[in-house]
Amino acid sequence: MSATGAAVAAPTRPAPLTSFLALYRLLLRAQITVPRLLGIAALGAIAVLIGVFARWHDDPAQAATDAVSSFGLGILVPLATLWLGTSAIGDLVEDRLLVYLWLKPVARWQLPAAAVLATVTVVVPLTALPLAASAVAAGASDVAMAALLAAALAALAYAGLFVAAGLWFRRAVWWGLAFVLLWENVVAYAAAGAARFTVIGWASSILGLAPDVEVTLDAGSAGAAFVVLPAIAVAGWLIATWRYRRNDID
Amino acid sequence: MSAVEPRVVAENVSKWFGALVAVSDVTFDVGAGVTALLGPNGAGKSTMFRMLCGLARPSKGTVRVLGRDPRADTGVTRMIGLVPQQESVFEPLTARQFVALSARLHGLRDPEAAAGAALEQVGLDPSDRRRLPAYSKGMRQRVKVAQAIVHDPAILVLDEPLTGLDPRQRAELVALFRRLGSEGRCVIVSSHVLDEVERLGSQVLVMSQGRLAAAGDFRELRALMDDRPMRIRVRTDRPRELAGALLERGTAVGVRLDGDEVLELDTRDARALAHALAPVARDRKARLYEVNPLDADLEGVFRYVVER
Repeated sequence: MSATGAAVAAPTRPAPLTSFLALYRLLLRAQITVPRLLGIAALGAIAVLIGVFARWHDDPAQAATDAVSSFGLGILVPLATLWLGTSAIGDLVEDRLLVYLWLKPVARWQLPAAAVLATVTVVVPLTALPLAASAVAAGASDVAMAALLAAALAALAYAGLFVAAGLWFRRAVWWGLAFVLLWENVVAYAAAGAARFTVIGWASSILGLAPDVEVTLDAGSAGAAFVVLPAIAVAGWLIATWRYRRNDID
Repeated sequence: MSAVEPRVVAENVSKWFGALVAVSDVTFDVGAGVTALLGPNGAGKSTMFRMLCGLARPSKGTVRVLGRDPRADTGVTRMIGLVPQQESVFEPLTARQFVALSARLHGLRDPEAAAGAALEQVGLDPSDRRRLPAYSKGMRQRVKVAQAIVHDPAILVLDEPLTGLDPRQRAELVALFRRLGSEGRCVIVSSHVLDEVERLGSQVLVMSQGRLAAAGDFRELRALMDDRPMRIRVRTDRPRELAGALLERGTAVGVRLDGDEVLELDTRDARALAHALAPVARDRKARLYEVNPLDADLEGVFRYVVER
């Protein structure tokens, strides 16, 4: 007879997929709040509006590419991912809820991985789709697929970094904001080669896949970007896992 | 201290945060049954509990749960149920979802059934569809207990689990904890309320200022505390006359005058002093403005125990 009076089986370690999905669903549920969705959707709407105005530009494809690079990859994607990524685990730390998840026979890598996936699940549709729509609205359909890929991979990379930041820093949003504004939007443009050390630089490289457009910020080949951006996400996830494993839980 | 095989062992455990020492050189072992960890707020109970569960790494010393290191071995967490002190719970969830999440993460085959049974066990309705923020503090506290017992753990660590409950709910949970202990589980409950601990069980660990001040049978500790001298503060217009009369009757064993109106009385029998005070004041035509026990709070009790 169990303590609860139920005929429960003796606890075993849960199947990795079962526990991962449970964590993913929990974090996704916490991520999806009306203010967040409205805030990010409003930024996405601005991107589409910029695309509409780009239609009247002499070179709509170039204008759409510049808009996706500067507003989409420089503002929309990082800010949306910052908002959700830092809060994915950061809110659990802040609200002292991590104790309920830590004290379970679940591999430590699962929570950060679920946080990255939950963040990407919300951010990609809310940012990549409006950016692709922005290109279409500008009459530059060729840019749309590149914008979609660039935004999705940038969101993945930022998600890894910001989930780790949420575990690392108390006020991760402010640290992240400084990173986005100063590093990603100032340092990336400051010197030749600096773009290689930024997410926006590599994401912009993917925009080069679109025909007949020039990319202002170019960290390297688009092919390399497909490796570097997921690698940044993996690095962020590993750092978050390491931190989660080592930290005292409050 | 346990007669049976110890399940939770702390050896020379210390924990400090920078210059602040939260737990200092604490050693004990706990076996099956209910053990109360008693101490005032800030005594280091919660920090000790976090180390017992592996949530925090001791700065010095070792903790073993069922012979394993709870910090390094995620497997041992299967055998631990914790009710943390903090009130926060997952707000988007219902009670059943919250408890089922715990069951699922513990690998139970039927998390929903286990969650329902655990909620019934703590007197909550498993079919309640309200989200947790709609629950009262006492109900949320019981949900926390349900998520801790849902996987039928061998070790239950309960940090102030009776906070926010009404007397009936307290009595029910105390009965549940005692039953779980009597069934062979190791139940460790912290509290800063003496009466609560008395009802919980006979084994106690007393922590004060990060140190283990006493360990053993609660009845012995209670006797020790009943035996201690108490200090009563009396404000009256005739403190000297009152002091003399009470010393003469033997109800006070020491007096101290503080200014023209305040008298501090030491007594070994507070009840006798309370009975004697009004008649003596009437006989001496003294007015009593204020009568206050000093040192009757838990801090005072612990100071006394520690000084002994």
